[in-house]
Amino acid sequence: MKRISHWIAAAALLISGAAQAEPVTLDIWTIDRPDQYMYLLKDEFEQAHPDIKLNIKTVQFRDMVNDLARATATGESPDVTYIDNPEVALFASRGLLLDLSAMLAESKVIKKDDIFPGPLSSVTWDDKIYGVPRGANTIALYYNADMFKAKGLDPDKPPRTWDELYAAAKKLNDPAKNVYGLAFSAVATEEGTFQFLPWLQMAGGDYNKVDTEGGEKVLNFWGKLIDEKLASPDTLIRSQYDSTGTFNAGNAAMAISGPWELPRMGREAKFDYRAALLPVPRDGATRASALGEGDNVILAKSEHPKEAFILLEFLYSKMPDVWNRFGFVPAANVQSNNPNNPAIYAVFEESMKYARNRGPHPEWPKISKAIYTAIQSSLTHQSDAKTALAAAQKQIDGVLND
Amino acid sequence: MQGIIRTIRDGSGFDILLLGLALVYLVAFSAFPIIYNIIMSLQTVDMFTITSFKRPFVGLENYSTIFAQPIAATVLWNTVQFVVLSIVFQLSIGFGLALFFQQDFPGATYLRGLFLAGWIMPALVVGAIWKWLFAGDFGVINYVLTALGLTDDRIFWLSDPNVALYAVIIANIWLGIPFNMILLSVGLASIPRDVYEAAELDGAGPLERFRSITLPLMRAQLGAVISLGVIFTLQQFDLIAALTQGGPADSSNVAQYWSWQLSFQTYEISLGSAVSVLMILFVIIVAAAYVRSTRHEHSY
Repeated sequence: MKRISHWIAAAALLISGAAQAEPVTLDIWTIDRPDQYMYLLKDEFEQAHPDIKLNIKTVQFRDMVNDLARATATGESPDVTYIDNPEVALFASRGLLLDLSAMLAESKVIKKDDIFPGPLSSVTWDDKIYGVPRGANTIALYYNADMFKAKGLDPDKPPRTWDELYAAAKKLNDPAKNVYGLAFSAVATEEGTFQFLPWLQMAGGDYNKVDTEGGEKVLNFWGKLIDEKLASPDTLIRSQYDSTGTFNAGNAAMAISGPWELPRMGREAKFDYRAALLPVPRDGATRASALGEGDNVILAKSEHPKEAFILLEFLYSKMPDVWNRFGFVPAANVQSNNPNNPAIYAVFEESMKYARNRGPHPEWPKISKAIYTAIQSSLTHQSDAKTALAAAQKQIDGVLND
Repeated sequence: MQGIIRTIRDGSGFDILLLGLALVYLVAFSAFPIIYNIIMSLQTVDMFTITSFKRPFVGLENYSTIFAQPIAATVLWNTVQFVVLSIVFQLSIGFGLALFFQQDFPGATYLRGLFLAGWIMPALVVGAIWKWLFAGDFGVINYVLTALGLTDDRIFWLSDPNVALYAVIIANIWLGIPFNMILLSVGLASIPRDVYEAAELDGAGPLERFRSITLPLMRAQLGAVISLGVIFTLQQFDLIAALTQGGPADSSNVAQYWSWQLSFQTYEISLGSAVSVLMILFVIIVAAAYVRSTRHEHSY
């Protein structure tokens, strides 16, 4: 049907002999709701580029990989789509995404060297670049400064090391008032892996090497927090958003989560909330942080790669506004325009420098599952940290050596 | 031509037409997916080959991979507990309520109707409500238990691996009771009153009447309810998705949810298919038992 309409359009052009170019329509897939990113930028883009129209379709985040895989198999894929960071390799490794390296080299808008190393590695596969980050996010430690004061802690000196974090959690913990020291997420989904990896990376290890002493230290530390009820046992089943909800409600004194929480925190949290960098295992240890958010990519089969790239450039040019307008941290070295919550922004901006990508690997979901399964079996004491991580390592090796 | 039209309008052609429609429907919407699923369970399938038939056959390798997975035994045992406990309690409570509402008291029929409300609600909604009730830190159930002094400490229904499966089972029992009750009520209503009256005259007490009249005459209905219960319980996906997602640490994972996880979380579609084929085999056995039990249905 699409093919036919193209022929008709071409024929009409021939007959009229008009020199004026027909507007090109790009099919766009996104996970945004109508009040988010792509929809908000659509009008601005179409005004700046009257010869390109955008046809946006929303796909649920959890369905994106499935739907996109099916669409590429049946030849109905969009021109441009959103892909979550760890999934880029899956599609790139199968040649389904357009290699942007040449276009990027010539682009006047996107400077490859400006993009932070973490986000850049998430769109890189086999030394070629397959996407442009639309923004980034990472995690940090939120804390309730009012509770710090009430318990005699200095709100200007948030915990910097794991020991300090434990001590603060212990001091802030107040079961009588239904207050836990810390809220985080060890849920059995990608989110659990997302929260765990930076801890592992700081302690020594990475997604491809989890059965380390550092890995055991992390799991034992998390286990201690939960066993001593400094964090709710429901940490095992709460997403990051749900966990942070308890922080907003005053049922947790600290929370580990990302900048996407801020709009809701601004509405719900009736206290002085602040943010600090993720604590490190000991003073002077290497920092690490998670890298979240997704990328805009062009499908290899797109009939309008040139126009699609113009769109990618336009979206990238909005990087200085993403914090205020969409709740992302810029994924590139740009100056944000008057960031809201400037102190918290500064924390996330610095965190971004330590943010590491998950993978990349085309079979990321299997690696991720091995990791969150180890977290869960250790925290529920079904096996000790060492055994759980060894089992995960075996599964990960199976994937990596496949 | 005329002959064909006549036989379709008024003759054996009409029967064949009706049969044909039903068959086409069954082939298209039942047989094809099942066979496709069986084929997938014998191949290596990922998301990108899902629309093509040209995929490498691997024989029964997927099945051996499934059983070699460390969680296979956990999932199997959980599934057995989930099905057996759900059915035992759904059936006994449902039967009890059916007998209760069989008694003649004002509003009995209305109250019985009200019980259906739970059955009407989508399992996802029921799951969301139970999730609030079960919540560890601020759940209603924990509040009631501690207020009554039954427990000192909060029970983390959904995050304690020793309890999570039972929390899901409790919610599933609640969800299944109305269905059991209504089906059994219908059966009870069809038992003639005079049989009971005659037995009563002969001096049979309530227990005796239940044992020697109600139970034998309800055989077919009980068989049907149990078989349908097994099938429905093995289909129960939404509730698990809403409550625990099989967690923590797979402590509440059951076969149907595992199959979904394999297919759509780690994209090992052939493994997911293998699990569902095994479930289909089991359901076929139960369905055969169900068909037998309905064949024995008799009139009085």
